Amino acid sequence: MKSWNLKDYVFAAFMTIGIAVASAIAVPLTLGIPLPGVRTIVWAPFGGIFLTLGMARLQRVGSVALMIGTLALLLSRLSWIITAFLVASLVITEVVMLFRSNYRSRFNRLLGNVIFFASTTVTGALIGAYTASPGLTQWVSQPWILLPMTLLSGVAGAIGWWLGELVIKQLQRAGKLDVDR
Amino acid sequence: MSIAKSAPESRGFLTRVNPLAKIIASLVITGIAFSLKSVVAMSVLVAVLVGVLLLCITRDNIRQIGRGLLVGTIAIFLFVAIGMLLLNNAQSALLYGLRLVAILLPTPLLALTTPPADLVRALQTAKLQSFLILSLMLTWRFLPLIQQEAQRILEANQLRGVDLSRQPQQWFSGLFVPLIFRIVSYADEVTIGLETRGYDPNAPRSLSQPLRWRFHDTVFVGGTLLLVGIVSLLERYS
Repeated sequence: MKSWNLKDYVFAAFMTIGIAVASAIAVPLTLGIPLPGVRTIVWAPFGGIFLTLGMARLQRVGSVALMIGTLALLLSRLSWIITAFLVASLVITEVVMLFRSNYRSRFNRLLGNVIFFASTTVTGALIGAYTASPGLTQWVSQPWILLPMTLLSGVAGAIGWWLGELVIKQLQRAGKLDVDR
Repeated sequence: MSIAKSAPESRGFLTRVNPLAKIIASLVITGIAFSLKSVVAMSVLVAVLVGVLLLCITRDNIRQIGRGLLVGTIAIFLFVAIGMLLLNNAQSALLYGLRLVAILLPTPLLALTTPPADLVRALQTAKLQSFLILSLMLTWRFLPLIQQEAQRILEANQLRGVDLSRQPQQWFSGLFVPLIFRIVSYADEVTIGLETRGYDPNAPRSLSQPLRWRFHDTVFVGGTLLLVGIVSLLERYS
């Protein structure tokens, strides 16, 4: 397996910037909606583009950890809660993706996106609710609320993957991205 | 905007404290906030945190902090009101409201009083993996530049009569595709720049201003321990 090099670290850092910019653009639209996962649902289609690009370029297991780990560190300046649920979901994603061994195929990238954004909704809702009050955890963790929001987050992640693959094609056509397909 | 430029202008007491001490204090306070069950103890903790936040107000950040305090106060009042309805217990609702403030306040306080450059030095001292420090430095350095690029793309669209703020369906083709091309170009340029300079993320790096433990760090740690002690006593006897 190829080892990580400077080019990989720089590319991952810039994809992290893209994910952060996507969240800065999309998340404020939903700040007033008190539903778990709604912020992930609007963020995933745009954040997913950068996540897919990073997976396609870096290809190895650990790509999501590199991009989202940096994002989690960056957002620790806003709140430890955001850091906690991002780290929890990146661990879930990477553990599941260990069984698929890499992000070389389009299906693996789709799977990575869906798992990451769906788990972000679950961990975000549970950690956020536990922080607010144990009573809220009980309310939020009811299947009729959490399940549809998790499914919608997964679908939003899949849209992000689809848009990401479209951009990969355009970047390849422009000679800006070297990706095995 | 560079890392140095984004640093706070004033060098107040908290700004001069070792960032690692502040990170540990922030984690300890967050942990304590989770464990407190007395409204009195929680109120003291929140009062101290709000007091410290008010001490951090400067001419540069007064608007930002003022707006945050106003929005935060309204949100907490709403949170307590909803909690009272859901829990049917005013004391518990107040406790959870105060706990939320105590959990949320330490991190903005840390961010307000720690310039990114100081935080990077602290993380280097803490022996965090070098690739993570590189990623973090690049993100801090280029995030404002990429935001400017996004702004330019939005303005270019406006000149052509496309108002993207009202047309989210155009975001992908009108904003994200050109932005991604700029980001990928930046990534290539930065890689070439770093490779040309022989940058190796795994090579040992020196620090021009190494972090040292100073007297005000001891005062800060002492103050934090005092606060923790007072809050623990109040929790036990109230």
